[in-house]
Amino acid sequence: MIQHLVDGILVGSILSLGAIGLTMAMHMLRFANFSHAELLSIGAYCALVFDGVFTAVYAPLGNVIGPLSLTWALSLAILVSMAITGGSAILIDRLVFSRVRAKGGELSMVFASFGVAMIIRNALGLIFGLQVQLYSKDIVFATVLSRDPLLLVKPDQIFSLAAALFIMVIFHLMLSRTTFGYSLRAVAENPDLAQVSGINLNQMITLIWIIGGGLAAAAGVFYGLTNQVNPVLGRDLLLPIFAATIVGGIGSIYGAALGGFLVGIASNMALLILPSGYSPAMPFLIILVVLVIRPTGLFGEERA
Amino acid sequence: MIGIISYLIFFTTVAAILSIAVLGLNLQWGNSGLFNGGVVAFFGAGAYGTLILGGTSQTAHLGGFEIFYPLALIGGMVTAGLMAWIVGILTLRLRHDYLAIATFGVAVAFENLLRNAEGLAGGAQGLRGFERPLHAWLGDGFTYNVFFLIFVLVLLGATYRFLEVLIRSPFGRLLRAMREDETAALSLGKDPAKIRLTSLIIGSVIIGLSGGLYATFYAFISPQDVLPILTFQIWAMLIVGGAGNNKGAVAGAFVIWAAWTASGWGLSRFAPLEIQLYTGSIQFILIGLVIVGMLLWRPQGLFPEKLVISQSGRTNRSENRE
Amino acid sequence: MNRQAKHTALALGLVAGMVGYGTSAMAQDCTNKIGAVLPTSVDWGKPIAATAQYVVDLINEAGGVAGCKVELVLRDSQVDPKVGVDAAKALVDLDGVQILLGAVSSGVSMPILTSVTAPAGVMQMSCCSSSTAFTGLAKEGKTKGLWFRTFATSGVQAAVGAMVARDKAYKSVAIMYKNDDWGQDIGKLIAGDFEALGIKVTGSVALNDGQASYRAEVTEALKGQPEALYMALYPKEGTAAVREWLSLGGTQNMIVANSLKSEEFRDNVGLKYLGNLVGTDTASPRSQSASAFVDQYTAKFGKAPSGPGLSNSYDATMIALLAMEAAGKGADGTKIASMVSKVTDSSGTPVTADAAGFKKAKDVLAGGGSVFYQGATGNVRFDANGDVSAPAVTWGFSDEGTKELTFISLTDVDSFIASMK
Repeated sequence: MIQHLVDGILVGSILSLGAIGLTMAMHMLRFANFSHAELLSIGAYCALVFDGVFTAVYAPLGNVIGPLSLTWALSLAILVSMAITGGSAILIDRLVFSRVRAKGGELSMVFASFGVAMIIRNALGLIFGLQVQLYSKDIVFATVLSRDPLLLVKPDQIFSLAAALFIMVIFHLMLSRTTFGYSLRAVAENPDLAQVSGINLNQMITLIWIIGGGLAAAAGVFYGLTNQVNPVLGRDLLLPIFAATIVGGIGSIYGAALGGFLVGIASNMALLILPSGYSPAMPFLIILVVLVIRPTGLFGEERA
Repeated sequence: MIGIISYLIFFTTVAAILSIAVLGLNLQWGNSGLFNGGVVAFFGAGAYGTLILGGTSQTAHLGGFEIFYPLALIGGMVTAGLMAWIVGILTLRLRHDYLAIATFGVAVAFENLLRNAEGLAGGAQGLRGFERPLHAWLGDGFTYNVFFLIFVLVLLGATYRFLEVLIRSPFGRLLRAMREDETAALSLGKDPAKIRLTSLIIGSVIIGLSGGLYATFYAFISPQDVLPILTFQIWAMLIVGGAGNNKGAVAGAFVIWAAWTASGWGLSRFAPLEIQLYTGSIQFILIGLVIVGMLLWRPQGLFPEKLVISQSGRTNRSENRE
Repeated sequence: MNRQAKHTALALGLVAGMVGYGTSAMAQDCTNKIGAVLPTSVDWGKPIAATAQYVVDLINEAGGVAGCKVELVLRDSQVDPKVGVDAAKALVDLDGVQILLGAVSSGVSMPILTSVTAPAGVMQMSCCSSSTAFTGLAKEGKTKGLWFRTFATSGVQAAVGAMVARDKAYKSVAIMYKNDDWGQDIGKLIAGDFEALGIKVTGSVALNDGQASYRAEVTEALKGQPEALYMALYPKEGTAAVREWLSLGGTQNMIVANSLKSEEFRDNVGLKYLGNLVGTDTASPRSQSASAFVDQYTAKFGKAPSGPGLSNSYDATMIALLAMEAAGKGADGTKIASMVSKVTDSSGTPVTADAAGFKKAKDVLAGGGSVFYQGATGNVRFDANGDVSAPAVTWGFSDEGTKELTFISLTDVDSFIASMK
């Protein structure tokens, strides 16, 4: 029981990071981006490459940090990966989404994102192979936090949670303390009015992709660190991330963060009631419940 | 020669079955602006519904009611319609991307349910169907395939006619009005939610018909038939063919299915072996590129929607949609 | 990354080598086309296809079949029934193949059988489809004797898995199985077998394909604090689940089905944790050629055969070609299918599973005799429904790959299964 709750929180932090970027893009550009989760894959593979590069360049970077399986090289790689993934997100927007947007039909964007997701996923499979990859093959044993009730936690997971929270706090400070955060929120509230007030919408869109991509990359690496890296990890995380976004309410950044944790917890707790075979359906059930009880999500506002 | 004809009949049958699903989606998306991200769930509901109702008795799970085939097929369609009704009630009041995500989720949950609920439809083992209708007369070879093709083509034609009549009817005008400008329609005293729900259900029933025919043709259905890739394929057919145009929808189905199968055939024939081991990935990338390319350079599809211009206001349609 | 690059290079080298084989060795100017519909675009499907191609190359080296070179036309099923069925139909109608190898998933093999091969009278031989639905179909006579599979019914593996648990005196076992047709089947079978032996099943957990995290499932399986863990999983989710299992302090007493006989799994989990792992598999025969398949495969691919379905794919291709040889030039699918019993005849001349064995089989068949094929999965023997039974083996991981632990003959397996009933 407690174990499932804690596990849910730990998994949830990854979903939160993914959902924050998704909710921003969905709100501002008004389309359900089915390719957002692929940014997690790009991030994970990017870190895999640079982890290798850094270790090759300067071997001591390959040492693990404390009780983690995380190496210094990989922690540097995370930063690089966040930048590159943010860049890829902009590139995808420039190449595809902005053009489709310009042609009209915001709903065409939804389908364009289907296509983009398919291309990214299979390109990754082609480049890196379809097999499972790991940042580190060592198995780090879980620490026993409590014997009764039994509560086990892996150091890597604690790190992922802490790092995710850290990133979220920084992001929060940025939103609430900087001009740039104000502009971002203004755009999110009302794009037209924001433009009238002299905010450059295009700049803001670029920014949202950088932030969304960066957060997704971090989520992807944390996922890889606590699970594994494979070309379909984005597809596997797509529905849970969407669920987190809807639970939080589309457009609400804090809602998305909280939504991630809620979806993580609910998915883990579900096993107490449902046979495990049904777990992929959990995110959908969560979406359904939210739509019935509170269609705008926890923090969302009604908007046509 | 007979081989080529036999293959073409087979190919046309599958393409025609898929075009029925594309027609259903066209009503939802092309005519009503509803993003159905879970086409495969409604397709599967039709397929499973038909096989469970019409199938021969199976010990391990539900079904085997051996209902008269046309009734079983209609039963499958009703199953799909019921599912659409539930999803529609929950999501159609909300902004459009909720429908996209909810239907996508329905599809995942649907597949998952069938994979696990062995008592319902055999679980991952799949559901073995009935003898194909009229099997006793026609055997199961070439003659049967010709007969079945004609049967499918007749249904395709009927669906096409029905939709053409429907979209020219006042209801069809209403759908397009809703798609173009909901507020305006609302101001005229129309109830958008109800109209969209009707469209979602009709479209899903048609998709369900397609699923029922598919299951009949293969006499077998398993959770593998209802994976999200089918949704993607059917969407690709509609986008390439031209959303809003029924002729385009059918043409799109044939074009994409031909491209899908021909690329596999071509790669197996001409590509060196090392490439062959990667054909799946390459094919998906190509299809993805076709989709994105179409949206970028020819968003209206091969057969653009014929605009029914009744008022001069239609010229600035694109601005309205942004 | 390095390892990755090396593998890719290796694979390309192999493939290049194969192409070389295919084109150079033969002098005949006629070809016998056979078709294969396999999921080449899936991680575990690729090696299965490569193995089938490899057998064809071996046979061509040995002079081909029925006086002609064999050409394998390989089509990707994409694990999509529509695509697989279309590919099969194209192979049958356009290429005129009389033998179809495949598919892997039952969900693809079944519609191919019902709508393509059975109506057209083409023999279909699957390496890996495990669904019990095929047996049912065959019993109703709807496969027309055209259907075969070299994948031993899961009953044998489940029974041997239970036998291992009994011999190791495990009192309680948790089960994790892949949530597909094969996994559901074997999961249910072994749970029954454990209970029949008085071993407590503390939990039976289904693992879904493509799930973000298996943490919750593993926690669930750990709950009853079992003495041992039984797994019917594929390497991808197996790796994730076992790493999670071990790090959460789960036992290293593991029993696994042959699907985890994979180097990828061994390397990603780490040999040091797998010392107490016992695997089950259908066995190689106890003959001179016992390691023939393994040796040849190792020589060809630079590593021992590991991963689901490889030896099954080898046997499927080999038996199909032997039957084709027995049926003679220009035989149709029905004729070839009827010859399968002639090349897997336990009273026939034993032949090994390699090029030399194939040459020998040719001579025997030419003289009107029958042949007993000693396959990579064992002394393959089909029953009336096209199902195969085979002796079993238990194995463990070693530095080189896998090592055999015990051999359990067909009679032992049968009597053990009977004793549980």
